[in-house]
Amino acid sequence: MDVEMVDQTELPSSSTTKKKPRIVLVDDSHPFELESYISSYSGRTVVDRLTHIMGLCPPLAPQALQLAVQEIHKMRDPSMYQTVISTYDQTCALPDTQLPAALDVVQINQNWVEEMNAKNQAERMKLEVELKTYTNNMIKESIRMAHRDLGDFYRNVGDASTSMKHYTKSREFCTTSQHVLDMCLSVLELLIEQKNYSHIATYVFKADAALDTASGNNGKEKEAAPSQPTTATTAKKSVDRERIQTKLDFATALSHLGTGNYEKAAISFLKLGPVSGLGDWVGKLVSASDIAIYGTLCALASLSRGGIKAQVLDNDNFGVYIENEPYVREIIEAYMGNRFKTVLELLERYSTRHSIDIHLTSHVQDLTTLIRNRAIVLYFQPFATIKLERMSAAFGWTVEEVEKQVVGLIQSGEIQGRVDSQNKILKAKQTDSRAALFAKALQAGQDMQSANRKLLLRMRLQQADLVVKAPKGYRMDGVHPSEMLLQAD
Amino acid sequence: MSTSTNPQQQAPLSLDTLISEITSPTSFPALAHLLKSFAPKDVRDVILGSTLSGGGDPLDVLDVVSNTLGVLWILSARVNAHPQARPRFSYIEQFCATFDVNQARLAPERVTLLARGIVNISHQMGDPKLSLKPLYDLLTRFPPNLSYLTPLHPLFVVASLQSSHLPSTQQTPITRVLSTPIKEINTNLCPDLGYNDNLVYHYVGGCCWVGSKVWVEAQEFFEIVIGAPAQAPSAIQMEAAKKLLLVQLIKDGKLSPLPKYTHPHLPRLLKQTPYHLLVKHFPLQLGELKSVVEKERDVFVADENLGLVLQVLDAAPRWAIQKLTHTYLSLGLGEIAKSVGMEGEVEEVGRILLSMIEKSEINATISIDGTVTFNDSVAGRGGVSKGEMDRALREAQYQAEVLQYLEREVGRSREYLVKAAKGRDEVWGGAPGIGDEDLMLGVGPGAAVWEGD
Repeated sequence: MDVEMVDQTELPSSSTTKKKPRIVLVDDSHPFELESYISSYSGRTVVDRLTHIMGLCPPLAPQALQLAVQEIHKMRDPSMYQTVISTYDQTCALPDTQLPAALDVVQINQNWVEEMNAKNQAERMKLEVELKTYTNNMIKESIRMAHRDLGDFYRNVGDASTSMKHYTKSREFCTTSQHVLDMCLSVLELLIEQKNYSHIATYVFKADAALDTASGNNGKEKEAAPSQPTTATTAKKSVDRERIQTKLDFATALSHLGTGNYEKAAISFLKLGPVSGLGDWVGKLVSASDIAIYGTLCALASLSRGGIKAQVLDNDNFGVYIENEPYVREIIEAYMGNRFKTVLELLERYSTRHSIDIHLTSHVQDLTTLIRNRAIVLYFQPFATIKLERMSAAFGWTVEEVEKQVVGLIQSGEIQGRVDSQNKILKAKQTDSRAALFAKALQAGQDMQSANRKLLLRMRLQQADLVVKAPKGYRMDGVHPSEMLLQAD
Repeated sequence: MSTSTNPQQQAPLSLDTLISEITSPTSFPALAHLLKSFAPKDVRDVILGSTLSGGGDPLDVLDVVSNTLGVLWILSARVNAHPQARPRFSYIEQFCATFDVNQARLAPERVTLLARGIVNISHQMGDPKLSLKPLYDLLTRFPPNLSYLTPLHPLFVVASLQSSHLPSTQQTPITRVLSTPIKEINTNLCPDLGYNDNLVYHYVGGCCWVGSKVWVEAQEFFEIVIGAPAQAPSAIQMEAAKKLLLVQLIKDGKLSPLPKYTHPHLPRLLKQTPYHLLVKHFPLQLGELKSVVEKERDVFVADENLGLVLQVLDAAPRWAIQKLTHTYLSLGLGEIAKSVGMEGEVEEVGRILLSMIEKSEINATISIDGTVTFNDSVAGRGGVSKGEMDRALREAQYQAEVLQYLEREVGRSREYLVKAAKGRDEVWGGAPGIGDEDLMLGVGPGAAVWEGD
């Protein structure tokens, strides 16, 4: 597994690599244990994650392929075979990779495929007939269940869009808010599986509303069909509610992360309830260590030092998540202790772990850059002047690189300072606030006066009805100003 | 103006009778009416342009000061007639310098006509400079003061620009006119004022300022053109927008937003022009800038903007260097050249730097080994003197007074009251208990704030 490769993740220009095949390095300085990683997941996500790894990390591809095929046999979606093998083939086709052919690594069990196809076919027929019968009989509850079963079925065989259709269709036949809630959670699972982040918020919102009604009614009178949301507002949080709330919070957090809204993502991740609240989502969709990583990276990239202390270090709930991934605590502690070199080294060391995550992969670069920028800003804050050499020692970069970064940050306005390029010194800007304020006020006054004058003139023009009117046809019919002002030009 | 005098059915048709009327008028308004209505329009100017029955020149009979109204009518008819009837130019000059203002204001259209005639004559004589003096006299004497817009304004600035009389630091006529901002529009004074007069005056005025490289004023003038009320943007406004863009690039190194009340079509139209490409590459991508200018040269030439565009090109490295001073304390000449896109032209960069230091655009020193040290900007230091502060405060207070007065004017104007009453009915469903006071206080929060000073 430990194969030396040319490291391509280090290119500074690869901040927006979404489509471009990126190769993730696995070696002594970037340790990664595939089996222990994948063992914390179950179900479909295992295959999804393995497929992702195959695409990113050629050295791990054969092993991932084997694991994936083993997992596929436990499920009932033969089409996954194809996805997995084609991803593997694509990886093989990358330059500088020499991998055994797919069929040398795994055996495709043709019998199983056919068996499974037949079985799926039969079940589909059965479920559709059921749905038809129920629709004819117009039994609402049964129709809902039929839709739900079909949704589950299609999801299992990997037809996400049809599955989605059935789930949403089932909404029409929901009689209790508990049903709506179930539907929303199923849809959310599907959306997260599909990495469709932008839609998550809609269903979280719907689920929230349903949750209010459901828990309100359950707490009060346990009716069979509590469709009236009268008691919703006085609902007290039951244990049940808290559990579902955690799931919804997680979905929200993930949607923020997926859409690149790191600060909101950080806040949502950090206020997640205990792991038990996620129920069957742990393993099926996400692992506790994933949450630790997402939350921490987002927090480091977007929150202030005080915010990190209050919301990460003093947060008992989140502490439990962090226990799953001890190095995350190391990063936070190094960051809080201003040992930025260690932070960056750790980030680099675990970049493989981060890139291999299906939800985090496209944000790793952005997050790393943000954390690095924050670190530089924080580091410089207490100084009036500092030698770039010292900064380069603190961050473990060359002086040129430090200068480049610092100049970038000055130009984006994050550091108030100037670089002495000859002596390699960064010097904080000293502004005379009093003079600056005076100058600003005078300027504002002048601008206002000039604006006033123009506005008053404009008002007078309007009062005198000296308004430019369109000629009968439309504008510029041969009335070019050079004609009007022939002599002038 | 007296419009109620009896309609002159039987108009005196000969110039001699007219002259006698002119020399012994009952009242000037009556005379003004008589001159306006003694004959149909087409015949009128022919009669006025003719000679006396004895063959004499009517202008010799009349006195410029006491018979201003009559002279004005005759003169304005004759300057636009065929060359033989044209009066001596010195006579026109004399008239412009001495005429009686009150009489002339009874016939504002004729003043405009006379001014046009002066411009024509000077063109035919091949010397636009000639028209400047009489036009300036008209301009300074006819309206109560220079802040009133008249149709004479555009004629004067156009003539100035043609004869290359540009505003300067000296108190030349053109400088005086252009540095008096237009504040008043009075259609009683000049009933023949059109929206084009405003646009042309400010556009050409802006061009004059551009000619003497006074960018602040040029920007102001073009902004007035662009911000003029319009139902559809006029071509002049479009041209002004183009020029404004170039002026802003030279002056500030970046684009500032157009006035809020700009016609929404204007920025959109501007986006489609090559001018927008200039903004995109300004100031750091010098290579791209040059190629845009090369490629779109024809457009710039056709718009008569090539000169300005070239100045934009010259300004680009300056603004690029200006930007560097915010980031660096010291930098080698070679590095500067590299970052402003003039690699290999170290000497040229050194020259630009020197000239920037001379004009105190930047505060920097160049050492012998080619290291440039940027010091803190000059403007940031020193602070503001007490005198400056007091002046600024006085100006602000004056502004506040003006605005407050205006607010009251508006507050008691008929139009406003009608609208306010109507609006109140709609909003509060006809609740009459709410006083006018409250309504009006909301009109000008600025004035209320300044009152406290």
